[in-house]
Amino acid sequence: MKRFACLLLAILMLLSLAACGKTAEPEKQELFAMDTYMSLAAYGDGAREALAAAAREINRLERELSRTIETSDVYKLNAGVTATVGDETAALLCRAVEYSEITGGLFDVTVAPLVTLWGITSDSPHIPSQSEIDSLLPTVGSGHIHLDGNSAMLDEGCAVDLGGIAKGYASDRVAQVLAQYGVTGAAVSLGGNVYICGQKPDGALWSVAVQDPKDTSAYAMTLELTDTFAVTSGGYQRFFTGEDGTVYQHILDPRTGKPAVTDILSVTVVAGNGTMADAYSTALYVMGEEAACDFWRQRGGFDMVLITADGRVLYTPGLAAHITQKGASYDFRQITT
Amino acid sequence: MTSGRSQPDLKPRPMDALVVLFVVLSAAIIAVLVYGKRESENLTATVKHRGETVAQVVLDTLQEEKTVTIDGKYHLTVTVTRDGVSVTESDCPGQDCVHTGRITKAGQSIVCLPEQVIVTMEGSSPSPDVILG
Repeated sequence: MKRFACLLLAILMLLSLAACGKTAEPEKQELFAMDTYMSLAAYGDGAREALAAAAREINRLERELSRTIETSDVYKLNAGVTATVGDETAALLCRAVEYSEITGGLFDVTVAPLVTLWGITSDSPHIPSQSEIDSLLPTVGSGHIHLDGNSAMLDEGCAVDLGGIAKGYASDRVAQVLAQYGVTGAAVSLGGNVYICGQKPDGALWSVAVQDPKDTSAYAMTLELTDTFAVTSGGYQRFFTGEDGTVYQHILDPRTGKPAVTDILSVTVVAGNGTMADAYSTALYVMGEEAACDFWRQRGGFDMVLITADGRVLYTPGLAAHITQKGASYDFRQITT
Repeated sequence: MTSGRSQPDLKPRPMDALVVLFVVLSAAIIAVLVYGKRESENLTATVKHRGETVAQVVLDTLQEEKTVTIDGKYHLTVTVTRDGVSVTESDCPGQDCVHTGRITKAGQSIVCLPEQVIVTMEGSSPSPDVILG
């Protein structure tokens, strides 16, 4: 009898070992919204409902913040009249103005008329003349946005595009939604705006790879992160090549009205706030290496990775312990404080 | 001094050997099933168009280049080889899908927003949970 009991015990142990080979699959949701592809994955008892609620929230935000949906707050604002906008839109416009001031105007939502002029991601991108650019440059600047509670107005000829901040804000909202449903771990990517929280069922943190701007089939580095937001900006995917062979990437420099000329290939910002990370990543890309490092030293409150055109990966000290893999083709250096 | 309790008979018997043999064999079989299967799991490219899976290709089994065409408002040609997948032609605005180039690792993807096409790679090798870029 004892012998059979031992046999039974052994079988049960073997079966339990067999289960070790598999990691539980997360609930997943994917959607196209806010002019990008989004993928969400979550673990926990309420994960499925949490992701469905997160998707509904993203779609709701798109209806409020889109520049092209005629019923949106932003569309009404750009129509040239005083618009009554929702609390959320008013608050986000306030933050956009704040980030514009903090970054010396290098992140600016009023660059919208120039974005339209260039049409880099549209059906018909073109290289505008200098006089066309010059005629629109006076419309750029956060001072053209006038807010009084829920009443918003733009100066004549101006327009806003919250595309540089809306996905970051959406990631903040998704984080709140997921928390309400008590997910134990989640990895959310809203077109390059990433939010990660908790752990995987085996206790592991999330592996976050930064794409190699020079070789999209490779990674420049991999980080192990959790409970944070991360956003990458770069000009290596969204661009068009002019008839003269010049490559025009999609991030415009509000000072010149032209695609940013920078010594950085990509900027990744890691921070506790998705909206800020989104705005900063764009501004830091336009700034270039030296000014970006100075900005980080002066303001702090976030970490960053700069991949430079000359093959260096510069990272802030706060990320040093989180780097799990370094791309062999880059020279890694920690930014000094 | 003597004890009132009888000592258990610890002498191995043929049936014990059978139990040991059974456990060892079972462990070997389960190891092959669990880990052997993982090693042979091939890199697979999946092409989705507006939420529907239109093609799934196991790269290792390809004898020659395979193309998947997407015909919607825009027209895309997805080229699959043993070395990876790329969108080689597209008449979509922006051309982000073409600019992405060739993807070769599990976890990577190519997205065409205007035509809502997603090309993903899945496979056995460890891949990042999310990719920034």
